[in-house]
Amino acid sequence: MLDHAQQRLLETRLASIGVGRRDFLRLLAGMTTAGSMFLTTAVPTVHAAPAPGDKLAKVQVFRRGDFNDEPASFDINKDLYCGCEFTVFAGLMRFTPDFVAVPWMAEHVESNADGSVWTFRLRKEAKWSNGEALTAHDFAWSWKRQLDPATAAPYSAFLYDLKNAEAFNKGQITARDAVGVKALDDRTLQATLEGPRSYFPVLVAYYAALPAHRPSVEKYGDKWTEATNIVSNGPWVLEGWGHNQQFTLKKNPHYFDRDHITLERVVVPILPRAAGLLPYENNEVDYALVPPGDLRRLQADANVSQQVSRYFYPGTFYLVPQVVAPPFDHLKVRRAVSHAIDRRIIAERVSQGFGIPAHGMIPPGLPGHFDDEALQQLQRFDPKLALESLKGTPYEGGKHWPKIAISMRDEPYAAKPMAEALQAMLQDVLHMPTELEVLEPRVFRERLWKQDLQLIWIRWFMDYPDPHNEYFDTFYGKRTTGKRQAWSNEVFDDLITKARGELDPQTRMALYRQAEEVLQAHVGYVPVVWTVRYVAFKPWVKGLPRNKAGHIVPDGNIYRGMLEHIYIVEH
Amino acid sequence: MALMLRRGKKPSPEVSLWQDAWRRLRRNRLAVLGGLVIIALGLAAAFADAIAPYHYTKANFLHAYEFPNRDFPLGTDPLGRDMLSRLIYGARVSMLVGFVAQLMVVSIGVPIGALAGYYGGTVDLLIMRGVDVMYAFPRLLFVILIMAMLGAGLLNIFIAIGLTGWVNIARLTRAQILALKAQEFSEGARAVGASGPRVLCRHLLPNALSPIIVAVTFGIPEAIFTEAALSFIGVGINPPTASWGQMVGEYQQYILSYWYLCVFPSAAIAVTMLSFTFVGDGVRDALDPKLRD
Repeated sequence: MLDHAQQRLLETRLASIGVGRRDFLRLLAGMTTAGSMFLTTAVPTVHAAPAPGDKLAKVQVFRRGDFNDEPASFDINKDLYCGCEFTVFAGLMRFTPDFVAVPWMAEHVESNADGSVWTFRLRKEAKWSNGEALTAHDFAWSWKRQLDPATAAPYSAFLYDLKNAEAFNKGQITARDAVGVKALDDRTLQATLEGPRSYFPVLVAYYAALPAHRPSVEKYGDKWTEATNIVSNGPWVLEGWGHNQQFTLKKNPHYFDRDHITLERVVVPILPRAAGLLPYENNEVDYALVPPGDLRRLQADANVSQQVSRYFYPGTFYLVPQVVAPPFDHLKVRRAVSHAIDRRIIAERVSQGFGIPAHGMIPPGLPGHFDDEALQQLQRFDPKLALESLKGTPYEGGKHWPKIAISMRDEPYAAKPMAEALQAMLQDVLHMPTELEVLEPRVFRERLWKQDLQLIWIRWFMDYPDPHNEYFDTFYGKRTTGKRQAWSNEVFDDLITKARGELDPQTRMALYRQAEEVLQAHVGYVPVVWTVRYVAFKPWVKGLPRNKAGHIVPDGNIYRGMLEHIYIVEH
Repeated sequence: MALMLRRGKKPSPEVSLWQDAWRRLRRNRLAVLGGLVIIALGLAAAFADAIAPYHYTKANFLHAYEFPNRDFPLGTDPLGRDMLSRLIYGARVSMLVGFVAQLMVVSIGVPIGALAGYYGGTVDLLIMRGVDVMYAFPRLLFVILIMAMLGAGLLNIFIAIGLTGWVNIARLTRAQILALKAQEFSEGARAVGASGPRVLCRHLLPNALSPIIVAVTFGIPEAIFTEAALSFIGVGINPPTASWGQMVGEYQQYILSYWYLCVFPSAAIAVTMLSFTFVGDGVRDALDPKLRD
């Protein structure tokens, strides 16, 4: 039963991140329609037309300060976490600031009756930055390149929905042509899938489906994304790249929608994270992410607080108890942990406003978000119940705990204080002593995938806005790559496999809702907070993209298109 | 030669080397000040449970990031833990690392150096080439490497510092033994039939002690700083244990907004280092025969 206080809390929570309930439902319904599905170009042109009264600066250069690490390359097609600016390339689809997939390089998208074959018709004006036409062959070649075992693309599993993709990627078949993507003609791309996949357009809007320029790859090999070699098809092209210092982008003269872009150039210095907000406060960049330690100070300043916007960075911080080793092999112990955590305190006090309490995997405003009373009750904060849950285990009364290590990757945005707060809560409520080990990201990932960690403090930042990403890519028990937890469950696996092929959105979401319940009832994970972030823009930066609720949506893990909207006013 | 005097005819007035050193150390104001600070820190570390106003893990989420006030004299950290209490408990880690690690350094370095110096020849050659190899590694890098292999933790810090720190002491001991070995008193001891180990332990080592003591007094702050550096970069001591270096590392990002979070632990490290350095300087001067009055 949802009492009034909780109802109000839920409402404010949704409202605070700019999502009305109706918006969410409409988004759900809009994603798919029963039977044959098609989407045509209806890209909302919310493009930067300077507001009346804004005088454009003569020099339209934007200095962004949110890159802390040197990109490994700009070859997204090979390594989608290479850490570069994604909009150097453009896919068939893209996400709007409301996280809805719409056609981009495609102008028309259509599926057969059961959603197992998808056909994309490319725009006539689609071109590469050297003026060549962008064709369906480019996409077919690029997707196969990513799946080719010789490419050794680390995240190729995102394309496994294509027919025979997994077998081809694992070397079980060698016939390239057997992979379910082909160009019917220069402008028509057909994707044949392993089965019905209603979310396929969403996946195609994700970076995994970005193209690479074949002649350049063949000519320059690994060096094809150096500034002197690269040919790309996005709104931006890489103009210069001083390694470990900065890279610059300029408007792509062959991009079909170039006339709607006001910025001419984007300068991206690589700033060490330790520099914090200093480059922004010294006026060296126009845009920066606000670290938790600086937020309150900025908000307290009447002038600067105007420059700070809160935005929603779709992701979830959660705990994974490893079910194969003591003490977390006991379901009762896992339940005890799930009841011992006060999510509200962690979100409001410890994260410093960088999180909101989470009761499920998918954050508010996205398809598959569940935060109903029943779910909230499953792992509710209840110290008494937590300690009682230990009855019948060797740890009854909070005694005899073995050595327990919480492991996390070294990362910013209050991840460590939150982990320390979890330590304090487990100690307080369950008298469970823990040690916190902060691991270097690469070591962390290796040990994570070997399921070598005991209690894991980790986050999942959504790749694409579909529950398939949260449940299948993360918790599916029969995954062979990148599996984070030893926990697996037949019922859960069945539910998400069924949901994957389900076409009716309501039935599909109901299946995911059941899956979430199974996951939480077995305490396969303990959701703690959904992530929120803050950015600061200088007052002369205008035209920032906004969602339907009117909130600013800067570049994040799903939406990437801010640069096409921004313009600089005289200052 | 100063050492020899003690063993020869009674010098007058009758003051032993140690008494004299102690007298001069006491006259060195900075060394006394440093010594007092170290004693205070040692007491704080030993009786942390009694002195600290709160336990170092006691989180108080309603009082996070508080500016120093009456309840929390040095403010509170992001979990609302009392910074003063955490600093006091942090002294425990620093003192332990300083003394225990240095004990390890001495117990590895002195025997190795003494053996090399006394027996010479092939033994010396082998040992000293080994020492040269160890010397070629940048110390901190080596420590980080060992920590990465062993994992974080207090015991592993002792091991890492012990395994890398002994080379200096070994070299020093070897040089001392080499010089003393050639002197008459050691030849005399051998002449009356003392065995090798006996000469080494009874006659040579006690005379080589003063430079070793000086090296140790400087080694302690180095070890403390190494721990701080390790914890600063996150391979030293795991939370929730309080460590000064870890606090500085973690809170430096808050310097503009909550300066007190990283300034106090930094000050604690600085004051401790300075105190040990003063004492070290004092001990060195006090034991230096050239400065004798």
